[in-house]
Amino acid sequence: MTLRALIADDEPLARRLLAEYLRPHADIRVVAEAGNGLEAAKAITEHQPELVLLDIQMPKLTGLEVLELTGRRDGVIFTTAHDAHALRAFELHAVDYLLKPFAQDRFDAALARARRLIGQPTPGLDRLVAPAAPHIARVLVRDPDTPGSLQVLAVDDIAYIESQADNVAFHAHGREHLKAQRISELEAQLDPARFVRVHRSFIIHLAALQGLEKTDSEAYFARMKNGKRIPVSRSGYERLRAVL
Amino acid sequence: MHPLLTHWRGLAVYLLAWALAGPALALLLHALHIAPVGAAMPWTMPLCAVFAFMLLATYYPCRSRPFGAGPWTTALAHRAALVGTLAATMLGLALAWDAAGTLFGHARGWVGLNAGGITLLTTALCGLLTLAVLAHDLLIAFRASQDAAMRESQARLLARDMELQLLRLQIDPHFLFNSLNSISALTQLDPAGARAMAIDLAQFFRQTLHLAGHERIGLHDELALVQHYLAIERQRLGDKLAIAIEASDDALPALLPPLTLQPLVENALKHGLRLLDEGGLLQIHALVRDGWLHVAVRNPVPPAATPRLPAADAGLGLGLPNLRERLAAQYAGRAHVQWGPTSAGFAVELTVPCETLP
Repeated sequence: MTLRALIADDEPLARRLLAEYLRPHADIRVVAEAGNGLEAAKAITEHQPELVLLDIQMPKLTGLEVLELTGRRDGVIFTTAHDAHALRAFELHAVDYLLKPFAQDRFDAALARARRLIGQPTPGLDRLVAPAAPHIARVLVRDPDTPGSLQVLAVDDIAYIESQADNVAFHAHGREHLKAQRISELEAQLDPARFVRVHRSFIIHLAALQGLEKTDSEAYFARMKNGKRIPVSRSGYERLRAVL
Repeated sequence: MHPLLTHWRGLAVYLLAWALAGPALALLLHALHIAPVGAAMPWTMPLCAVFAFMLLATYYPCRSRPFGAGPWTTALAHRAALVGTLAATMLGLALAWDAAGTLFGHARGWVGLNAGGITLLTTALCGLLTLAVLAHDLLIAFRASQDAAMRESQARLLARDMELQLLRLQIDPHFLFNSLNSISALTQLDPAGARAMAIDLAQFFRQTLHLAGHERIGLHDELALVQHYLAIERQRLGDKLAIAIEASDDALPALLPPLTLQPLVENALKHGLRLLDEGGLLQIHALVRDGWLHVAVRNPVPPAATPRLPAADAGLGLGLPNLRERLAAQYAGRAHVQWGPTSAGFAVELTVPCETLP
């Protein structure tokens, strides 16, 4: 079976070195190279490679943030020059990492281990990726301008989130960004003190809320600062009252 | 404020001396049969109180024109005029108050000064004022030398701080290990390039070690160090990094504290060019104008919205204020560091007095 691999490192020479070390392994094919964290996240989502060779210190997103945003938990080998903090974390969570510069045989050993474990999530990776923050700060969404590409959206910028079939739509800066996710799953990841599920299909950001409107038929609407009116269900109203 | 006014004990002794001078003077007038104590006391006491503060006031003109700030003859003339004016004023006050004694039923005034008395009083006032001016000048000179010593020790502390910074730089592990990784990659792809990079790395560390021991180095030495550093970074960053260094001929020998420029260049890469997909141009300009050395480092930066590494941001926050403080101490406030966004990205500009080796 051929393994597809992604090489993510911001330094071209480091990428070339990894490609060179991979050459003796005929069963591994490099499907993509990424020069920064965002490209890496995009390539992981797009190609779903079995093997990810991931640098930690990269522009735009760090290696750990790439995993946080893509939800990737298996087949990851970290490469890093020196990051005292990360090194301790790797050891603590028994994740494989390569310290630059490394030799071919050390690389081969990491690869052998990765091959053995492919498809199985690395046990410590979850804790390593989001050790302290129980709530997400950013989401990886489809870029509305260029189809097929991704961008990172800070949750602070989101006004509200709407469920649309298999997707959720994030409304931020007057635009709509889609992501394939269920709204209930997303609700669990967001900070409940700032994001409230006001309706089966809507989560609102309290910072973007202007006020509540009551209609004649005893129903409520949330009026957002951008003028949008969002229906509030009875249970949603209770949840809103609890946090306001 | 006058230094005595903040030392209440010194002030108390000073005022006590004047308070004793009042009765003493009155007794003297009595002993000389000029006026009885009962009439002399009401004249001497208020005058002593006023004169006490007028003498203290000479501190301010002395401080505004200290010896050494201009030609000493000017300062001396200024002091002579000061003594003359104040002596005349004080004499006027004394005579006026004496005359005011008639209102209290003393036909000739409180003491009725005659020509001899006036001469004596004038001489005494001039003497006192001269003494006050001298004392104040001594105090000012003493304080200035104390300040200079303090500034110097502060500069020495900062220099030591900089040495520590150099140490940190010598073993910046991220830079070192990444460079070694690049060399490792080049050995197969481009053996000559690997050798060149190993040499640049060695030169960079050697020069850093060498320069660390100096208080000032020539701009050309700093630029040589920066060029080794950039040669390494260019290998690591690939074609993302374009460099333009322009230094006028008279700027090259100008002196700077070592490693002033290199951290700026490091910042420019770390917070600017490294984060840009398409890379960009790093510019260093140096020139001398009107006895000042101006150096500017300019680089493009990503738009503020781009998420950045939190660890990388921290460096920018501390590095530039540190540099400003360091230069301020080393040049006794005669150095300027400015930074901020420009239309093309970010710029740091520093200006120091242009010094060269004799």
